[in-house]
Parts: sequence; C-alpha cells; structure tokens
Amino acid sequence: MILIIIEVLFLLSTIAMIIYLIRHYVFTFAVLRKTKNTNKTNRVAEAEWEPTVSILIPAHDEEHVIGRLLQRMTELTYPHHKMQVIVIDDASSDRTGQIAQEFAMQYTFIEALSRDKATGGKGKASAMNAGLKRATGEIVVCFDADYYPQKDIVEKLVRGFADPTVGAVQGRPVVLNESQNIVTRLVTLERIGGFRVDQEARDSLGLIPQFGGTVGGFRRSAMEKLGGFDESMLTEDTDLTFHLCLLGFKISYAGDAECYEEAVCTWKAYWRQRHRWARGHMQVCFKHEFNVLRSNKLNVKEKIDGLLLLHVYFMPVLAMFSFFLGASLILLEPSPLVYAFWLFVPVSLYSSVGNFAPFFEVGIGAYLDGRTRLQWLVPLLAFLYLYNVAICTKAFLDICGAKILGKKQEDWSKTQHFGDGNRYIAK
Amino acid sequence: MIPNLISAILLIVLGIPALIIAVFLPPLLELRRPRDSGPRIIMDDLHVGIVGPLSVATIINIEEEHRFDRSLLPRLLKVIEVLPSLEV
Repeated sequence: MILIIIEVLFLLSTIAMIIYLIRHYVFTFAVLRKTKNTNKTNRVAEAEWEPTVSILIPAHDEEHVIGRLLQRMTELTYPHHKMQVIVIDDASSDRTGQIAQEFAMQYTFIEALSRDKATGGKGKASAMNAGLKRATGEIVVCFDADYYPQKDIVEKLVRGFADPTVGAVQGRPVVLNESQNIVTRLVTLERIGGFRVDQEARDSLGLIPQFGGTVGGFRRSAMEKLGGFDESMLTEDTDLTFHLCLLGFKISYAGDAECYEEAVCTWKAYWRQRHRWARGHMQVCFKHEFNVLRSNKLNVKEKIDGLLLLHVYFMPVLAMFSFFLGASLILLEPSPLVYAFWLFVPVSLYSSVGNFAPFFEVGIGAYLDGRTRLQWLVPLLAFLYLYNVAICTKAFLDICGAKILGKKQEDWSKTQHFGDGNRYIAK
Repeated sequence: MIPNLISAILLIVLGIPALIIAVFLPPLLELRRPRDSGPRIIMDDLHVGIVGPLSVATIINIEEEHRFDRSLLPRLLKVIEVLPSLEV
C-alpha cells in the first residue's frame, strides 16, 4: 500500500516537472520565433502619449547609491514638468535622508519624504504606500535605490499604458557589477534567462509577465481600486501582478526599457535575497491560487500560466522530493515504470526551476544578447540550482512554520548595497 | 547488458571524469581568463567599464582584480598598437 502511494506521488511530481520542462521549451522557442519575425509590431509600439508620471524610490540605508540615482533622475529626457520624483527615506540610520533632501532643495520635481522609526521601517510595501499618498501622476514608476536607468526609460515604460487594458509595465534590469565575482556573473545569467526569454515569451504569448516592483510602472487609478500595496506580503510586486490580472488588466513587458542594477555579490546575500523572494512568492501563491482558478477575467491559457507562475518556487522543493521518492522506490522495489521516469528526472531537475532560468533558456538568452562567451558559464548554474533547492526548501518550511505558529514577517529584509557598481560608471 | 565487467568499470572510471571535464572546463576557462565579463552596454551617454577600446577595458578589469602595476599600462598599449592585427 505504501509502495503504491509512493509510486503515485512520484508519478504526479514527475508530471508536474515535465509540465515546467515543456513550458520552458515553449518560452524559448517563442522568443526565438519572435526574434526572427522582425515585422511583428508591438500593439502599442508607436503610441505617442505623455501622461504625468510619479517616480517612487523607496530607500532604507542607501547612502552609497541614492545620490547616483537621484542625479540620474535629473538627466531623464521625460519632460520634468510632467514628472514627480518621490524619495521615501524609510527610517534610514545613515545619510540617505540628507542626500535626498539636498536634491529636493535643488530640484522642484524631486520630493523627499522622511519616515522615522515610529512611522516607518515596516518594509518596502509600507514605504511605497506612503509614497503613493503623495503621488499625483497618472502613471507610477518605481526604482530601487541601487538602480541606474537609461535616460529615456520613462518614455519606454509609459508608452505601454496607451493601451487602456494595460495595468502595469515591466522593464528589464541589467546587472552592472557583473564582472565583480562569480556570484555576480551567475546572477547575470539568471537575470538574462528570466527577462530576455521568460518575460519576453510571456508577453509575446499573451500570458502574464511578472511586475517586478522596480524598473516598472503601474496605473495609479488601478492601485487606488486596490487600496495600495498589501503590507503583509514580502513580495508586494508579485501580489500586485495578480491583483491587476484579477481586475482584468494586462501586464506588459518592455524589453527595451533597460536599467542597470547592482546584483548581490556574496553567497550569503544571495541566500537572503532569494529566500525573501521564495517566501514572498509562496505567500502570494497561497493568497491567489484559488482566485486565479475561479476568475472570469482570465482566459484558460492565462489561468494555466498564472498557476505555473504562482507555484514556480515550489518546483525545486518538488524536484528534490521526487528525487528521494524515486530513490526509495528503486531501493524498495524496482519497476519498469520507475526506470522509465528516471530518464526524465535529471532533465526535469535541470529544467523545472521557473524564474531561476533553466539551462537552455539562459543559453538562448545569452545568445540573443550577443554574449556568446558568457554562455560558457551556463554549466555552473547546476550548482546554483542545488543552492536554490536548499533556499526554496527553507522558505517553504519557514512559510509553513509561520502559518502554524502565527509568526509575523520581518520588516525591511533588504539587500544591502555598497555602491559596488559605481566603479563601472564613468562620465 | 555489458558482458565485460572490466570494460564497464573502465567506461565508468574514464567516462565520468571525461564528462565532468568536458562540461566544466569551458566555465573554468572563462572564469580564469574572462573574455566577456560585462556589463552589457545599454546606454550610450556614459562609459560603462570601458574607457577606450574594448581590449583596454579587458586589461583594466584584469588589472583591478589582480592588482597589476598601473604604470605598465601605457607601455602595453604602445606595444598593442604596433602589432599587426591577426584577426581573420
């Protein structure tokens, strides 16, 4: 009886991994086809539209990088009289607030909002909500403090909103400190796979590109319907993605709206960042999976993609689980069915990781970016995958523990930035 | 079914290391001597990791990581300019 249960569980988990395997192949071929078809026009490619824009920059202890971003805000080509930049200094203990105030005194379109330890320090979602109360623009764009955008990024992001069905637009972050060490180079590969292929494919296939909370924007009117970001969510951006879709909005991906970011540069920082992403994503999954199933605003393929996206951080856990199930089956009673599925397990293990970009997605992404030498590092993603299995498993256990014990999430569990990217920029 | 046990053992003993070398040698080579360590250029209004020709940028990156003597750099550049291009 136990053996039958193990076999059924093994079969179900392998089927789930195969579905993700197929999904990644579909995405990769969709992007390759789109690249070849140069006559394809974006539904809003040439729209001339200049709405008022509010740019939110939440910042907590970002003195090494905030000045660089604010200086860049003054260099943006979008009309300054239609722009409002709001820096939310959220209970920083360094000079972040002081630097923001200096810029606010010098430029009329820059505002500095300071929150002390009593009112602030409750996380990015809370800081963003405080900024939203001051925002007056039709479109709200967000940047993390360590980012460095193209001068015309606002134009590239807002043109997607000329389509009234679009609720959010996501741009593309590019790692600035790529050459710093092996961690930054592997993160670069991950980001290439995630944005150059995954997001691009979801956009071209009419699925659900994910709004990432930075290098992106959303309609302020849509956010008002939702009442702001959900401050109980660790990944308020993923939560917003699904809220907007459930309201009937589309999410669009603007791959040419690019912005430099500083990637994490140590394994410990990588763990903390991805652990937060995994926990937050799992929280959003528990919140929205049945809403997505029941929604009458989403068509069948959007529902399927939405569910796959929601469960993506469970896949490394599932892959490990099925590996041990298969091993136990081999030891207990080998059967032809198990032997056959063992063929799929190694392939699925390498390909079932969703936003961590499987090997072939990453390789194709690097090729499309003209980074053929960077492709040589793709085999090292196998080790990164194993690291992510540990991260996602820990995140899953933490989520379960939090639900059972009623633990509150931590506040600003943010990535610390040291301005490592500054040495790569020279004017 | 492999009839010869010795052949099977040899296949495993030689095959697995060969496979590992074949898979992981390229990334080790790229890490040791990076030819494309980025970042990708996405804006033309400033220099990102490049202050001259691409070859100079590569030298500068290696220099920072291995702490080369900066005074050698102008001399190396003069040598590179004089050498004929070997590109096909």
